[in-house]
Amino acid sequence: MKQENIRNFCIIAHIDHGKSTLADRILEQTKALDKRELKDQMLDSMELERERGITIKLNAVQLTYQYQDKTYYFHLIDTPGHVDFSYEVSRSLAACEGAILVVDASQGIEAQTLANLYLALDNHLTVIPVINKIDLPSANVEKVEKELETIGFSKEEIVLTSAKTGEGINELLKKIIEIIPSPKGNKNKPLKALVFDSLYDPYRGVIVSIRIVEGTLHVKDTIYMMETKASYEVTRLSINTPKEKEVESLQAGEVGYLYASIKSIQDIHVGDTITIKDNPTSEKLPGYKPMKPMVYCGIYPIEANKFEDLREALEKLQLNDASLVFEPETSKALGFGFRCGFLGLLHMEIIEERIEREFKINLIATSPSVIYEIIKTDGKKIQIDSPSKMPKKEEIKKTLEPYVLANIFTPSEYIGPIMELCQNKRGTFLNMEYIDQERLTLHYELPLSEIVYDFFDHLKSVTKGYASFDYELIGYKESNLVKMDILLNGEIVDALSIIVYQEFAHSRGKTVVEKLKEIIPRQMFEVPIQAAIGTHIIARTDIKAMRKNVLAKCYGGDITRKKKLLEKQKEGKKRMKKIGSVEVPQEAFLSILSTSEKKDK
Amino acid sequence: MYYQKDLVDKYLLALEKEIQKEYQGDILSTIYIGGGTPNCLNVRQLKKLFAILKPLKKSPNIEFSIELNPECIDAKKLKILKENGINRISIGIESINKENQEFMQRKISQQKIKEKINLVQSYGWNNINLDLMYGFPDENLSTLNSDLSFLLSLQPKHISTYSLMIEKHTKIFNQKITPISEDIEAKMYKRICKTLKENGYIHYEISNFCQKGYESKHNLCYWNNEQYYGFGLGAASYLENKRKINTKNINNYIKGNACLEIENLTQKDKIIYQIILNLRLKEGLNKEKFQLMYQKGINELYNYQELIQNKWLKEDRKKLFIPEKKWYISNSILIQLLEGEVQ
Repeated sequence: MKQENIRNFCIIAHIDHGKSTLADRILEQTKALDKRELKDQMLDSMELERERGITIKLNAVQLTYQYQDKTYYFHLIDTPGHVDFSYEVSRSLAACEGAILVVDASQGIEAQTLANLYLALDNHLTVIPVINKIDLPSANVEKVEKELETIGFSKEEIVLTSAKTGEGINELLKKIIEIIPSPKGNKNKPLKALVFDSLYDPYRGVIVSIRIVEGTLHVKDTIYMMETKASYEVTRLSINTPKEKEVESLQAGEVGYLYASIKSIQDIHVGDTITIKDNPTSEKLPGYKPMKPMVYCGIYPIEANKFEDLREALEKLQLNDASLVFEPETSKALGFGFRCGFLGLLHMEIIEERIEREFKINLIATSPSVIYEIIKTDGKKIQIDSPSKMPKKEEIKKTLEPYVLANIFTPSEYIGPIMELCQNKRGTFLNMEYIDQERLTLHYELPLSEIVYDFFDHLKSVTKGYASFDYELIGYKESNLVKMDILLNGEIVDALSIIVYQEFAHSRGKTVVEKLKEIIPRQMFEVPIQAAIGTHIIARTDIKAMRKNVLAKCYGGDITRKKKLLEKQKEGKKRMKKIGSVEVPQEAFLSILSTSEKKDK
Repeated sequence: MYYQKDLVDKYLLALEKEIQKEYQGDILSTIYIGGGTPNCLNVRQLKKLFAILKPLKKSPNIEFSIELNPECIDAKKLKILKENGINRISIGIESINKENQEFMQRKISQQKIKEKINLVQSYGWNNINLDLMYGFPDENLSTLNSDLSFLLSLQPKHISTYSLMIEKHTKIFNQKITPISEDIEAKMYKRICKTLKENGYIHYEISNFCQKGYESKHNLCYWNNEQYYGFGLGAASYLENKRKINTKNINNYIKGNACLEIENLTQKDKIIYQIILNLRLKEGLNKEKFQLMYQKGINELYNYQELIQNKWLKEDRKKLFIPEKKWYISNSILIQLLEGEVQ
């Protein structure tokens, strides 16, 4: 394979702008799969799934395309689609020379369009702008063209496509050859390969997706991972066409898969540099960051005897998700569970949902927490991912919390409400950029904890859903933080404690106790609900004692009904968690999060 | 029951058959004719009903009750009741408040009620129960007060109270009427208990009050978990190891398909019934009797110390009971008690 005939690229887009249909259409046009084969392929993999319980994710496909009597090799690399996974996205982009930026012809540019574009430019990619879905009646090509012009593209560069009808796809393929540069990199130099994804297969171990940047890799080479410092012998190399095809070697500019009897996905870090043990390269590839969870929460089985099942579920999910971390923790209120770390809220929700659906374990999740930094009076710096780990007040010298750079993309009419919202969420305004007269991006620095709390819901509601946003971590800033406890009937419920910005503590406390009052049913006695900082009570309300729970009339025919009623009420109580002497329903633990989304669940 | 003449005759026929089939010849210490039926019968049918009941063997000091709507009371019928040995009469007054009566689709004045009761008394009955209903939507404490004063002015030997329950699949339920708040209803209950006690009534069961010696023997039989027959539409029985409930569908009943459901009782079921029924009573659960019936003490079967500590349950050497003040949340207490089952 001649290097000058290789094109490595990915497709980037805001969610639902037609990324995957465009990819399918490219596969079809390059004859990698015709429609019938596409079906066969699916059937094949389903059979495989049935027989061996594996699924193969096509995250990098090699396609061939004839153009002006030459055969070109395309490597189409898939990227994850959400802000939680922006590091993985950036590593996938680093494996490419070019990117196709897809914009919906009726939606126009949106937050992730820009975020992805900037990521691509950071990775020095050549970008081909594409306006997709031009067949839609609501398409406004001219308007979207103008938007693209305002962010630096010329009209001539833009390709118009309809992935649905196939219009413009050939032109796009030509552009890929003409505009996206072929990979450079000397195949005779020492090996330098980028890990951009990994996958666990129960029969073959870990499969690593790699891009060879320099040098050549052969089967049976002993490789060395420059970040994790692990060594393995390569047992197999392959490419996807999209059927898997074994190869003897991969050389500079190529994209493929590596097998090396690697047992755990935790041993493979996305962004790591692979080299040959006996002939190493002198320097690593830039851009590596260790995977770090940003959001933590406690996950507990409602039924205490499901603890081991929960561990098994987490272990199984971790096989294919290197970013999921967990360790056992205990709560006085909830018993045995796990402290779990996630890349972001979406990641957290996906995992919780999968545990409940696929493993059939009913969960109580505590409210998510970010990682705070505490400088203690003895000068030691500690990081805490749970309110329970907050040191005593007198041991704390300084508290810091993570901040993000938030890019909020909005129609201009909502500037006012958004600025007010950001102000209320302790945001610092940086600047704003107009895309055109009607749309702009606002840049704010915001505490991550506010984003985790309810920022997105508020943003949606003040902009009627028209604004979108993404964020990236920018570091830690000093902040006046306190731990707020919730007391039920005078007892602290550890699972309900949260760390809050001191000035917000009163109003947060009030919201939480009121919310708990709504959710916790009346008990046989009056139950005070209090929010406290240390010993200082900042908010209080009472759940009145239950006044009436009796079957007043109980004669002949009522008697069996009475027994059934009691049995039903008794069964209903099982879905509650008994904390001290108070029966608390599962939703209470999420009520700390006052987001409307959570309420719907 | 929807009133239809020819249906009544067919119904009585089916009732006769059911009694002939089920009755085992026991001597009965109480009989209760209730559930609205007696009010639908004309004189001929009422006579027929008593003829059907004739084969039942009655103990010499039997309590023989009938339930009547005040509107349906007349001299002819009372005469038949008297001749057939009825010695206790239960009258569903419910409420004299206009709105409440409208809600029940009834209309009867205080004066009329008084006349009817005088008529009953003139036949020599003094063992009379009056029903009081409360907790109507929008009802307040002063409405309840007038109902109570009126009831007391009639000096019944026994008073049964009910809070309105809006059951699913009824016309009222479908009208989506907002029920009265838990707090007001609890206040009403408290008011009833206080007023009736002050006037010399004994609060012997959650919803029942009486003058000394006038407890309803029939209902005590339910709450003591004793066995009973039940004949007719929707009737319930408890015999041997079975609790049965009859159908409420008159067509099925007339066809002879009386039984709707049967619950086969295990020892544990019997114990649960014993507990949930006994604890409705002021006298509570007799621990000695319990031990004799089930060969184990209740404290060996259930751990209820927490309930005792919280004073939701009380006990002495002889009995275990829910203190009167906590009766109104007795379901929660019973659930917690049953949860304390010793494994």
